[in-house]
Amino acid sequence: MWKSIVYKEWLKIRWFLIGFTTLGIVGIGYLFLKVQHGFTFNGGSGFWYNILFMGFQFFGYFKYFPLFGGLLIGVAQYFPETINKRIKLTFHLPLKENNVLLMMHAFGVVCLLISFLLLLGMFVTMSNFYFPSQMVYDSVVSVIPWFLAGLVAYFFVALIVLEPVWMYRFFYTLVAGFFADIYIKSPVIAAYGPAIPGLFVLTILMSVALLFSAYRFRKGEM
Amino acid sequence: MEKFSRIILVLVAILILAITLPMLYWMAFEKPIKKPNVFYSCTDDDFFIQRAGTPIIFEDSKGNKYTREKFEQKLPMMNFQQLMVSGLMPDSIKGKAIDIHEVGRNRSFIRIKPEDMNCPKPKLFPMFESQSGRASLELPNDYFRITWRVEFIDAGSNKILEEKSQLFSAALYHKGFAFPAIKIEGIPTTRKSCDEGYLIVDSSNQLFHVKMIKGQPFVKKISLPEGLKFKHIACVDFKDKKYYAYLISDKDGIYILTQDEYELIKFPVTEYDAGNCELKIFGDLFNYNVTVDAEGHTDVIILNKEYKKVDSYHESWPKLSDRTEGKIFGYLFPVELLMEDRNSKYINFYWKGSGGKGWIILNLLLVAVHFLILRQREAKLKGHTVDLALVAVTGIYGFLAVHLFQNKFFD
Repeated sequence: MWKSIVYKEWLKIRWFLIGFTTLGIVGIGYLFLKVQHGFTFNGGSGFWYNILFMGFQFFGYFKYFPLFGGLLIGVAQYFPETINKRIKLTFHLPLKENNVLLMMHAFGVVCLLISFLLLLGMFVTMSNFYFPSQMVYDSVVSVIPWFLAGLVAYFFVALIVLEPVWMYRFFYTLVAGFFADIYIKSPVIAAYGPAIPGLFVLTILMSVALLFSAYRFRKGEM
Repeated sequence: MEKFSRIILVLVAILILAITLPMLYWMAFEKPIKKPNVFYSCTDDDFFIQRAGTPIIFEDSKGNKYTREKFEQKLPMMNFQQLMVSGLMPDSIKGKAIDIHEVGRNRSFIRIKPEDMNCPKPKLFPMFESQSGRASLELPNDYFRITWRVEFIDAGSNKILEEKSQLFSAALYHKGFAFPAIKIEGIPTTRKSCDEGYLIVDSSNQLFHVKMIKGQPFVKKISLPEGLKFKHIACVDFKDKKYYAYLISDKDGIYILTQDEYELIKFPVTEYDAGNCELKIFGDLFNYNVTVDAEGHTDVIILNKEYKKVDSYHESWPKLSDRTEGKIFGYLFPVELLMEDRNSKYINFYWKGSGGKGWIILNLLLVAVHFLILRQREAKLKGHTVDLALVAVTGIYGFLAVHLFQNKFFD
């Protein structure tokens, strides 16, 4: 039964996940093509100088990409469940409702995490080729909140899509917008250092948010 | 599990409301404070104050009003370019003949903000050639870092330059440098009159001056008084070439490090709180004007060229929490949450108390309102104790949050 549920989730998101990851790989490739171009035309020294002392963030193009990924996978996974209230079929399975939901959710998170880790790994590997460890570390500190924003977007999409009342959907979207904003401020490089542990905790806590709207959905809140 | 997920959502909503409601409140109601600009006149030995407004007020410390032109004449060191254009620059001041080139050479200005100390710093720096024989400085192709040794890394290949690294590591080691460095400060730009390298604090809080002369390391260990530690070093490139840097100690002392003699001189300024105040130092032919700007006051301390205090000025105004909008804020909100702080460039969770206790009344009122709503709904109070506690502690944030993510399903 569990395998079937996982397979159902995979069928829903596979092309979106593959498409997003492919786009991410191409995007990171483009990012470092620009770095290579900058090195060739301005020299490595000038390029490093702009990053170290002029506030240039060569990875800035990537800022909203994980957020987009979280929204995409969330919508792909949960929106079909609301058409004709299909998720009710899932709730009629001889399994605990919350366990089924958490399994669906965990599968989505794992898929998103695999994609994010792949992209982050590629970013770090290619950064190491052009920059010393201190600069790579500062870059990673800057991009980690963006990936966490992607996970938060996924959790909020689940919460909002499963919410049965439109007015509350609107309020939750407002909360989601302001909440995601704390992950994607535009500070100087590595400024997120002290906030990352707190953002990690908040992201993990948000992972169970969908249970609330799913409960309201099951109980038929209008 | 649903109850837990709801509590999480309520807490997240409280967090977001604690950010957005105060932000909207301040955007709507905060009024700007017109801080005075205080200057010291070397002709009258008195403070002259410029106050923003329509029209701008120019006055001295006794309240005598001046026209703009008269005001500028009282401050010839500050306005010498304008006075030269107007033909009003005095030939001599205090019996000293005024050479305009000397005036320009003695002018200096530095501003140090709290955020200059609380910010992510680069960990790699270019080591310029200090005596290249060229008219202008050139950006090198390598950058150095100081970890367990000095390492120069070629920016083109991202490879360590072993020979140069060993040369500088050995030079620092022989001068007693304790690796790694905890602070490296300099002026890493080619747009300066000359290169004086870097002031570096090692892991034992010793201070070193390091630069490169004709490809060779120059290392000078600077003797410091026992226990003196620096939390900020601002290197300067002033025309008078009297000192390398302003240094701020961990006890908020302001020091300068004289050029060539490496003498540390402490400014007789006790009003400075580096974490919360902005420091401005304007030097001219006769004085150093040290201005310490805080949220509710400004202090201006005048030092002569021997760094002795000759005069001071203090003016205060109500802090934000003491003004009407601040007091009302204190009645509405228990705290506010900021992700960005004006005294830091780091993103973090900055919780700030609202500065009053009036919010306790509103919190209790909201608890009563929530209690009445529950009574009207004939809800079991036992299932709502957490909500009531959250409203009691977080006030308006908690009240809105528990109604946004309603608890009625668990009645």
